[in-house]
Amino acid sequence: MGKYIVKRVLQFIPVFLGVTLILFALQNIVPGDPIKLIGGDKALSPEVELQLRVRYHLVQTDEDGNAILDENGDPVQTSLVDRYLYYMNGLLHGDLGNSYQRKLPVTEIFAQKYPYTVKLAACAIVLEAIMGIGAGIISAVKRYSFWDILVTLTTSILVAVPAFWLGMLLQLFFGVILKDATGGAISMPISGAGGSSSQYQDWMHYVLPTITLASVSTAYAARIMRSQLLDVMNQDYIRTAKAKGLSNRAIIVKHALKNALIPVVTYIGVDFGGMLSGAILTETVFNWPGIGYEVYRAISMRDWPIVMGGVTLIVVVVMVINLLVDISYAFLDPRIRLGGPSDKA
Amino acid sequence: MADSMFHQPVMGRRAFVGGTLAASSMAFLAACGKKGGDASGSESGSKLNFYINNPVCIDPYNVQEDQGTQVEYQLFDALTSYDAEKGEIVPLACESFESNDDATEFTFKIKKAKFHNGDDVTSKSFKLGWERLVNTKSAVATEYGPSEVSYHLSMVEGYDDLLAGNATELSGVTCPDDETLVVKLASAYADFPFVASHPALAPVPECAESDVKSFYLAPVGNGPFMMDGKWEDGQEINVKKFDDYYGDKAKIDGIHFQVIKDMETAYKEFQAGNLDVCDVPVAQIDAAKKDRGVSKDGYTMGDGERMLLGAEPSTYYLTCNTTAEPFNNADLRRGISLAINREAICKTIFKGTRTPADGIVPPGIDGYKEGAWEFCAYDVDKANEYLDKVAPAGANGDRGISVTLSYNQDGGHKEIMESIIGDLAKVGVTAVSDTPEWSALLEQYQNFNYQFGRLGWIADYPIMDNFLYPLFHSDSLGGDNRSGYSNPEFDAKVDEARTIVDDEERVAKMQEADAMVAADCPVIPIMFYTHAVAGSDRIKHLYVDPQKHADLGTAELA
Repeated sequence: MGKYIVKRVLQFIPVFLGVTLILFALQNIVPGDPIKLIGGDKALSPEVELQLRVRYHLVQTDEDGNAILDENGDPVQTSLVDRYLYYMNGLLHGDLGNSYQRKLPVTEIFAQKYPYTVKLAACAIVLEAIMGIGAGIISAVKRYSFWDILVTLTTSILVAVPAFWLGMLLQLFFGVILKDATGGAISMPISGAGGSSSQYQDWMHYVLPTITLASVSTAYAARIMRSQLLDVMNQDYIRTAKAKGLSNRAIIVKHALKNALIPVVTYIGVDFGGMLSGAILTETVFNWPGIGYEVYRAISMRDWPIVMGGVTLIVVVVMVINLLVDISYAFLDPRIRLGGPSDKA
Repeated sequence: MADSMFHQPVMGRRAFVGGTLAASSMAFLAACGKKGGDASGSESGSKLNFYINNPVCIDPYNVQEDQGTQVEYQLFDALTSYDAEKGEIVPLACESFESNDDATEFTFKIKKAKFHNGDDVTSKSFKLGWERLVNTKSAVATEYGPSEVSYHLSMVEGYDDLLAGNATELSGVTCPDDETLVVKLASAYADFPFVASHPALAPVPECAESDVKSFYLAPVGNGPFMMDGKWEDGQEINVKKFDDYYGDKAKIDGIHFQVIKDMETAYKEFQAGNLDVCDVPVAQIDAAKKDRGVSKDGYTMGDGERMLLGAEPSTYYLTCNTTAEPFNNADLRRGISLAINREAICKTIFKGTRTPADGIVPPGIDGYKEGAWEFCAYDVDKANEYLDKVAPAGANGDRGISVTLSYNQDGGHKEIMESIIGDLAKVGVTAVSDTPEWSALLEQYQNFNYQFGRLGWIADYPIMDNFLYPLFHSDSLGGDNRSGYSNPEFDAKVDEARTIVDDEERVAKMQEADAMVAADCPVIPIMFYTHAVAGSDRIKHLYVDPQKHADLGTAELA
C-alpha cells in the first residue's frame, strides 16, 4: 500500500506539468489580449498598458525594469517558455502571481474563497452520500414498493431538472413565497454565505445551495446504488447466505452492501473532486463566494493568473481525491490489492 | 428469488408518518435559523441595504466602474459635483473655483474638513490623491500596479513626466497654502471642473500611502460615510455615518452594500424584503413599475414613486470601420442608420425603458439637441435613396451588399442585433453576424479588423466633450476612437471649444463640432440608456443622479 501511494504521488508530477503546460500554450492560442481587456469599453493609455505588461512579465525588461523595445519601438514579448518557468518558480515559492483584473494576489483571493467552496462541497457530498446511498438501498430492498417508485420517480425528475433552475425555484419558494405567506416566520436565506449583516444563522445559508448542488448527483448515486445492490442480491453467495439462515438485515449489511458500494464510492469520489473544483451555476444563483465563479469569470476576462492558480489547485485536489478513492477500494473489498503482486508477499 | 425475497407491502402508517416528518423538517429548519426575532427582511434600524455587483476597486486610485464608484462616492467628496437639476457644476469639497482667461489654470479654495481618521483635509490631500494616481512609483502602484484611470489628469502639466517616472510630483498641481489648490493645464480645457468632480480625484490622507493594503480594502475618505469593517470581497461592504462630516450629516445610520453577482438573484432578495435598493431585470420592469410606482422625474424616490427610470449619460451605438471598405462609404453608413427602427428595439426588447438615440450626445448633457443627428431618424425611403447611391436594388430588392455585424452575444445584445439585421434586410442589405467573445471582439476593434459592430459609451463626466473628443478626435485614434474617424476640421473645432471659458459659447462650439460628425456618421447611435432601479417601502427619500450615483447622504428611511 505504501509503495502504491508513493508511486501515485510521483505520477502527480507529470500530470501536473502536462496540464499546466497545455494551459499555458492555450493562453497564446485563445484570442483576446488580457491587458487590453482591463480597460473594457475604454482603452488604456499606451503608457499604462506597457507598464501593466511589464508588471505581469508579458514583455521583456532590462536590468532597470524598463521594457525592451525592438527596432520598431514595440515591446519584445516574453516567450511562452520564460513565462512558464517564471510561473513555476513563483509556484515553488508559494506565489501564484497577481490577478490582472482584481490586482490582488491570487493566493489571497483563493485563501478567502476556497474555504467556502470546500464547505459547500463537503455539505453537498454528505447529503449526496446519505440520501443517495440510503435511497438506493431502500429502493432496492423494497423493490416495486411505494418507496421504490418514489425513489425512481424522484431521481428521474432530479436528473432532468437543471440545478440552476431548481436553485431558483427553491429561492422563490423558501425565500419569497413562504416568507410572505408566513409573515417572515418561516423562510430561508436566498443568497450569500452569511456574515454579520444576515438575519439568519450562518448554517442556514448552506441549506438551499447544498440541496441544489447535491440534487443531480444524489439522484445518480441512488440509481447506481439501487442497480448495484440488486445485482449483488442475485449473486450465488447471497443465496448461500440466505440458505445458512442469515437475516435479511445481516445479508445486506455484512455481505451485499460492501460489494455494491464500490461503484457508488467511485462516483461520489469523482463527484466530490468536481465539487471541490467549484460549482459555477450554484455559486452564481446563490451568490456563493467560492472559486467556481471566480475561475469562470477569469476565463472570460483572460485573467490568466487566476485561471492558472485555479487549475493548479483543482489538479492537485482532484488527484488527491482520486487517490483516496482508490485507497478506499482496498477497505471495501479486501480482494483488491492496490500495490500489485509485490504487495501480496 | 432475491427479488421476491425483499418485496414489501406498499405504504403503511410508518411511511405516512415518515413522509409527513420529512415534509415538515424543512419548515422547522427554516423557522429555527433566525438570529433574532426580526423576520421582516431589511428592517435593520436606520441602515439601508443596497445592491451592488462586486466592485473592481473602491480606492480612488483605481475606481472606475459604477459599482466601485457607488461605494467610493459615499466615502469621498471630490472638489466639485454636478448638479443635474441645475445642469451645472458646483463646489463640493471646495468653497469656490475659478479659471484664468484662457482656461489653462484653475484655482480651488478648499473647505475645512476632516478625514474619517481625524486628519485635516487640505490642498495637499488632493495633491497626494492625484499624484498617487499618476506616479507609477507610488506605494499603491508598487503594490497593485499602475492606475488605469490616471488619464483623468492627462491634461495637467507634468502628467507625462510623472507617468514616465521622470518626475516625483505632478508639477502642474501646487498648494500655496492649506486652503488653496492651483492646477495648471498643459493645454486649455475649460471643462476641467467637471473632471475634478470624478470620484477618482478625491483627496486622501497620508495613510493611503503609508498603509496601502489596509487603505485599499477600507479607504479613509472625507465623505458623509466611513467604512465599518473592510470590503469583504464578493460578499459585502458596510459603511456608517461619519459624525464629523463637514457638510449636512447623513440621515441614515449606515449602508450595507450587499455584493451579488447575478441581478436575478439580487432582485429575489429585493422581493423577499432583504434589499432596499436594487436594479430591476428587464423581464421584471413592468411588474415593478406597477408595484413600486414610477418616479415622476426618474431620479427621486418618495411615497408611491419608488421605481426610477431616469436617463443616463450613456449611448449604445454601432461603430463603423471608416478606414476600410465598405464602411469608408458615408452613404452606406447613412443609409444603414436611416433603416434602423430604434423605436421598435426600445419598445419590444426594453419595454420602453430605453429611448431611441437621436445623436451621440444623450439628454441631460448640456448641449443636447433633440434630433441632432438627422440620420438617426427611421426613414426607409430616405435610407433607400442613400443605399441606391452605393448599389441600386435589383428586381428582388436585393442590392448585393453584404456586411458583417460584430457583437458579443451575452448581455442581451443578440436580440438587438437580430432586430437590426432584420431592418437591414428590408432595404436590401444582407448583414451577417460575427459573434466572438467580448475579449476577442475588443481586439478586433482595436486592430480595425471589423466592418461594423456594437459598442457602448458611458461618460466619465456629463459634458459633450466627453463624447466628442474620445470617440471622434484624431488624438483618440488607437484609443477610444474605434471608428478610425479623422477630420482635421472637426479636431480644430473641438480644440477651439476647449479653450472657451464661457459655458454657453463653449457648448455652442461643441454643437457645431457635433453637427460635423453627425453629417459624416462614423458611428450609428442606437439608443440611450436609462437606469431601472427600485426601492423598498422603507425609503422615504432617495435621489439617484443621472450617472447612477445614489446620494445616500440625503437619503431618508421611513
